[in-house]
Parts: sequence; structure tokens; C-alpha cells
Amino acid sequence: MRHTFAYLLRPLALAARNRIARREHGDSLRALAFSGVGLVVALAIFAIVFWLTWQLLEYEDLGEYLVRLGLSWLFLTFLSFLAFSSLVVSLSTFFLSEDLWFLLAAPLPVRQVFHARFARALGQASWMVVAFVLPVLLAVGLARCAGATYYLAILAALLPFVVIPVALGTAVTLLIVKTFPARRARDILVLAGLFFAAALVVFVRYLRPERLVAVESLPDVTAFFSSLDNPVTPLLPSFWAGETLFAALKGHVDWLHMGALWTSACAAVVLLRIAFERHYFSAWSKAQEARKARFSRLSLLARLLRLTPLGLLPRNLLIKDVKLFLRDAAQWSQLLLLMALAFVYLYSFRVLDPGRIPLAGDMVRSAYAFLNLALAAFVLAAVAVRFVFPAVSAEGNAFWLVRTAPVRLSSFLWSKFWTGLVPILLLAETLTIISNNFLHADPFLKIVACLAIAAMSFALVGLAAGMGAIYPRFRAENVAQIAGSYGGLAFMVVAVLFILCEIGLLAWPTSMYLWHQYRGLAMAPAQRLTSTIAFGLALLLCAAVFWVPMQRGVRALEALDG
Amino acid sequence: MILVENVVKLFGRFKAVDNVSLSVAPGEIHGFLGPNGAGKTTMIRMIAGLLKPTSGRIMINDQDLARDPIAAKRSLGVIPDRPFLYEKLTAGEFLTFCGGLFGVDEENGLEPRIAELLDLFDLTAWRDELIESFSHGMRQRLTMCSAFLHRPRAVVVDEPMVGLDPRGAQLVKQVFRNMGRKGVALLMSTHTLEVAQEVCDRVSIIHEGRIIACGTVPELRALAHSSEQLLTPIFLKLTGGTGLREIEDVV
Repeated sequence: MRHTFAYLLRPLALAARNRIARREHGDSLRALAFSGVGLVVALAIFAIVFWLTWQLLEYEDLGEYLVRLGLSWLFLTFLSFLAFSSLVVSLSTFFLSEDLWFLLAAPLPVRQVFHARFARALGQASWMVVAFVLPVLLAVGLARCAGATYYLAILAALLPFVVIPVALGTAVTLLIVKTFPARRARDILVLAGLFFAAALVVFVRYLRPERLVAVESLPDVTAFFSSLDNPVTPLLPSFWAGETLFAALKGHVDWLHMGALWTSACAAVVLLRIAFERHYFSAWSKAQEARKARFSRLSLLARLLRLTPLGLLPRNLLIKDVKLFLRDAAQWSQLLLLMALAFVYLYSFRVLDPGRIPLAGDMVRSAYAFLNLALAAFVLAAVAVRFVFPAVSAEGNAFWLVRTAPVRLSSFLWSKFWTGLVPILLLAETLTIISNNFLHADPFLKIVACLAIAAMSFALVGLAAGMGAIYPRFRAENVAQIAGSYGGLAFMVVAVLFILCEIGLLAWPTSMYLWHQYRGLAMAPAQRLTSTIAFGLALLLCAAVFWVPMQRGVRALEALDG
Repeated sequence: MILVENVVKLFGRFKAVDNVSLSVAPGEIHGFLGPNGAGKTTMIRMIAGLLKPTSGRIMINDQDLARDPIAAKRSLGVIPDRPFLYEKLTAGEFLTFCGGLFGVDEENGLEPRIAELLDLFDLTAWRDELIESFSHGMRQRLTMCSAFLHRPRAVVVDEPMVGLDPRGAQLVKQVFRNMGRKGVALLMSTHTLEVAQEVCDRVSIIHEGRIIACGTVPELRALAHSSEQLLTPIFLKLTGGTGLREIEDVV
């Protein structure tokens, strides 16, 4: 018997090799696009942090203090992120993965299974943090001309730093699964994670970092930094990691904090392993018992939805979709994050004061309003790729039911369209109308934005539903996988191009109208005609982007084999 | 051998398995029958070491599953009803990995064993294909390859015939008989009563978590006071009617 835990990770390595060797249509393009985007983001992070650290060199003691504070804050943010993501990751890795029955039926010591699954959870929970933190730390090191000690310290500090929160999160998961049924535990963890993410977004926004760039708020800067100083406690691994790297930046080795990191990480793993050896099987067994989780029947909602003026098929599909959505915490809890983002979006417009910007007048306001329209459309595209694009694929293995029923697939796809359109249209109009009111935009512009975003909602939802049908992923394990597929990526590319074209078509006649209005001039007949043509083209583009993918989507569904 | 003693399994307050005892001797093929939701799969999962019994004892080849699960599992083969297989591995890679889990490596003749089993289950041509392209029947046959790879002395099977074509089903029945002749204890849960009648030496019928009958088919016939030759009417009689009388009204 292979008594190394690494042997249990072998299927992952083999599967990865096979995936590369037997690429499917679009895999290379998707990989290239994602790595390209990742590289650009990493380079941008590197450049910004390098520039900031370089600038701070000018301020000697204050600069030193800020670098030290920054490192502690960076690690504190990632510490909390890692702790929460490890809760969800460890639940699926240790309790819900389908290959667990296979491993647990084999004559393997729990210790070996624990090591393999912990390594997997560690990788899954921390790869993104490591990918984000590395360019930051490299930029700080290069800007400060750090020696080899610093780069070795990065390697030595990062591993124990990620191990501690992941071990803690896994321990909490074990405790929760021992206490609650696994399905309920997943709901609790997903909800906690989403609350955390939403709270983090709102908290960062409330710090109002834009105050730092306002000259008149200079006295506030001290208060701002003192407010940052509070949570950085010497008892947290984030502080130890920050101090280790800060010392290494100056060429020293901080053995105390490095030692604290490593001893804590080792102790966490050993204690966790003992807990798993004692309680894992009974917890896992309990997780199996909870397959039939009890949930609300949502009968009141179903009764309300039955009152909608829809045909029998769309109404039943709507009731089914809404029930599935509301019973899956991983789905509906995304709404919390969305609400937090919408709040931040609107709050940003609330605190934005164009009047303070020199020479800012109505034209700046109008420019902001157009920027707002574009931003709202991008938000819509992001929401559509997450909620509407996967609608067809989410039928999954149950799609045979629709295909064998005496139902036209066009009716099926259109019902998906309408189910997606109503909430998205409401969100779009809310964002646009409220933010334009906050901006005190010109009434004409308000009307244009209101109508444009409605037309763009139709287009984006049609595009998402249609492309979701053209590129279905019925075998995807979760919705995020569908949204991140080749089709999802293609949708985002087309959506961004569409939004840019649409904004261009709307901006030109609108700005011409406003320019004439501010100067009290009448528009020439030719200008009126070209403006009307531009508005007409914008509407036509929306109609095409809405209609063509829907038709092609229906045809793709009808042509499905297997 | 497989020995189950007074096993109880509670799901919350629901008693899925109620004080079940049964034994499968070496060389015996034991059928485990029961209506849907009777507790068959729960029992099979407990014997496979995938579920913890609330109380009772399970022995696999004289090893207590609770006390020494590794020793017990080492000589056990498990074939679940809906097997998990690594979709992105090839059949050959999957079996090699399984060999490692059960201590079968190149030195113990892993390669010839894999070739032998793939040949037996008609999968040799598919050895280097990804499992994701396999049909349900092929997956079932591959699962059997993995379960028999380490030459287990006890096997638990949940619904072995689901998805198999007649040729595959015939092959599996033949394999089970051969294993029985070689002294393997085989516990097989199934809804296919004809298969149970054809293959099994003894049959246990579980109903609402309890074993309500156990014995050879003639013994069950006597227990049910039935003169029927087939197992189906005996099964229906023992498990308390069928609801068949309602069919005419509904259909």
C-alpha cells in the first residue's frame, strides 16, 4: 500500500495532465484569455505597489511606518479571507466530495486521508491569495532594493501564514458538521462567507479612501491611519508575517515572529489531525445522513407566482427555477453580495461631489452620467453572466425532462429570458435612476439613460440566455463553472463590445443636444437627422443583440444530440 | 466472511436499520432483497465502512470494522449502485490508482491483473480512454474491475445489474458464481429477483429496516406458505402486498 498522502493526490495530477493533453474546443483560448487577464492584473498590482513604495521612500520615518502598516494590513485582509474561504473549501473537500466514498471504502488510515485532503484544501483556499500577494511583495522588495533575505523570507513566511487560517477554518467546519447536518452546514458556511464578503466591501467603502486625495482633508489623514492601526494586533499571524517581512526588507531575520508562524502552523496541523482522527468518520457519516435536508416548501411564494399572467409552461418553469434558486444557499446568497455592491455603487455616487472639481459644471455631470450608464451596463453584464447565462445549463441532467416533454424549446428559452429579465431590469433602472438623481444630471439625460438601460437590459439578457443555450454545460458541477466556461467568456467579450458601441452611439447625439441646449442654440435639421439616426442605430443594435442570440439559442437547443 | 450483529442505524429519529443480524459464509452468495427504502443501501454502506452504525457490530473476515477498519477493508471489495469514478482519468490510470490504495503494485503483478480484469469485463479496448466517455454499463464493469483488483475475500454489491446489457449481466453472474466457488463471501443487494433466485445460495429480505425472512428460496417459499416457484410472488407476499389492486383504477 502506498503510505504517502501524496499518492492520494495522484488523480488530481493525472486529471490535470489528461485535461491538457485532451483539450476541448475553446479550452486553449479560455486558458490564454484567463492567464492574459491574470497577468495584466498582476502587472497592474505590481506597478501600483512599486510606485507607491517608491514614493514612500521620500518620507523616511513616515514611509517606513506606512510600509510596515501596509504589510500588516495586507496580511490581515488575507488572513480573514483565507479563514472564510477555507470554511467553504474544507466542507466540500472533507465532507461533500464525491470521491470520498471511494477513498473511505479503501483501507487507508484517516491520517493519510486527512493529509491529502488538507493539502488539497490548502491549495484551493489559498492559490488566489498567493497569486495576489506575490506581485505586491515582489514590488515592495524591488522598490526597496531588498536583498535575498527578503525573498527567502517571503517563501518561509507565506506557507505557515496560509496554513494557520486554513487549519482553523477546517477545524470550525469539522465542529459545524458534527453539530449540524452537512447540507445545513454548507448553507451556514456559504451565508457566513457571503456576509463577510459583503461586510468587507461595505467596510472598505466606508473608509472613504478618496479623502486621501482631497487636499482640504489633509488633517483627516492622521485620523485615517490611526483608524487603520487598531485591528493590527500582535497576536495574529498577519502581524507576525508582516513583521517578518518588514525585518527582512531591512536585511534582518526576525526569528521571533518567524518562529511564531511556524510553531503555530505546525501545532495547528497536528491538533487538527488529532481532531480528525477522533471525529472525522462520525462527522462524515453524519454528513451522509443529511442528504435529505428539510427545507421550506415555499408554498406561499408558489401561490403568488401562480397568479402571474403567464402560460402554464413558463409559469411552472418560473416556479421551479425560483424554488431551486431560493433553496440553494450558494445561489441566493449571491444576492447579498450583489446588494452590497449595489449599495457601494450608489453610495459612491452619493458622496461624489462634482461641484468640488475645478471647472466642473454641467458637462462634467453629463460625462459622469454617461460613465454611470456604462458602469451600470457592465454591472448588468456581470450579473447576467452569473445568473442568466447558466439558466439553460443549470437544468443539468434533468434537461431530458424538457426535451422529452411536448414543449417547444423556444418556449423554454423564452421563459428563461423573461425570468432573467424582470429582476435585471429592476436592478438596472434602480441603479441608473437613483445614481443620476444623486448626480443631479440633466433631465434629458435622465430620460435617455432610463430608456437606454432598459433597451440594454433586453439586449444583455437576450444575449446571455441565447449564448447560454448555444454553449451549454449540462455536466458542470456548479453555476460558477458554467459562468467561467468558454461560452461565458465569449458572452463577456461580446457584451463589453456591445456596451462600448452602444455608449458611443448614444453619447454623440446626446452630447450634441446638450451642447446646443447649454448655449441656447437650436440644432440644425441635418444634426437632428443624424442624431435620430444614431439613436435609431443604438436601438437597432439592442434589438439585434437581443434577437439574434435568442433565435440561434433556440436552434442550438433543437439541434442538441445525446 | 461477512458477519452483521444486531446493527441499528438511526437517521435522527428515523430507524433505517433495526437490529439486523446476518452472516455470509465464505463461498456463499447471499441475496439482500427488500422494497425501496427498506434499508438495503444503508446496510450495504455500513458494511462498506461508509456509514457508522448507531449500534451493533460488523465483522469482515474476522476483523471488526469499527475497531480495525483498515484490516477489515483490506479484504473487502465494494461495488456501489452509483459509483464515483474519476472522470478525467483513463480506465488504466484509474485501476492503477486503485491498486495503490489496496497495496497491489507492479511487484505484486498489478499490470497482468489489470489486463486480466479488463479483458474479463470486455474493456481492454477502452483502457486508454477517459472514463467520462464511458456508458453506464461500462462504468459498472470498470467499478467491478476495481473491486476485484485486490482479490477480496468478501464483496458487497449494491444493484449489480443496473445498466448492464444481457451479455454483461450474464458475465457478472458467472463471475459471482466463480468467486463463490473460490471461497469469496458475496453479499448482493438487488431488486432483480430473477437474478437473486438464479445466483444466490441464500436470500435475506429486509422490510422497514428489519430482516423479515432469511433462507434458501424453498425455505422462503415455506415461510410464505406459497406454492409459487418464482421468487417474485413470494417476495411480494412477505413484504405485505403490492398495491396492485389499485393499478386498474389509476391506469
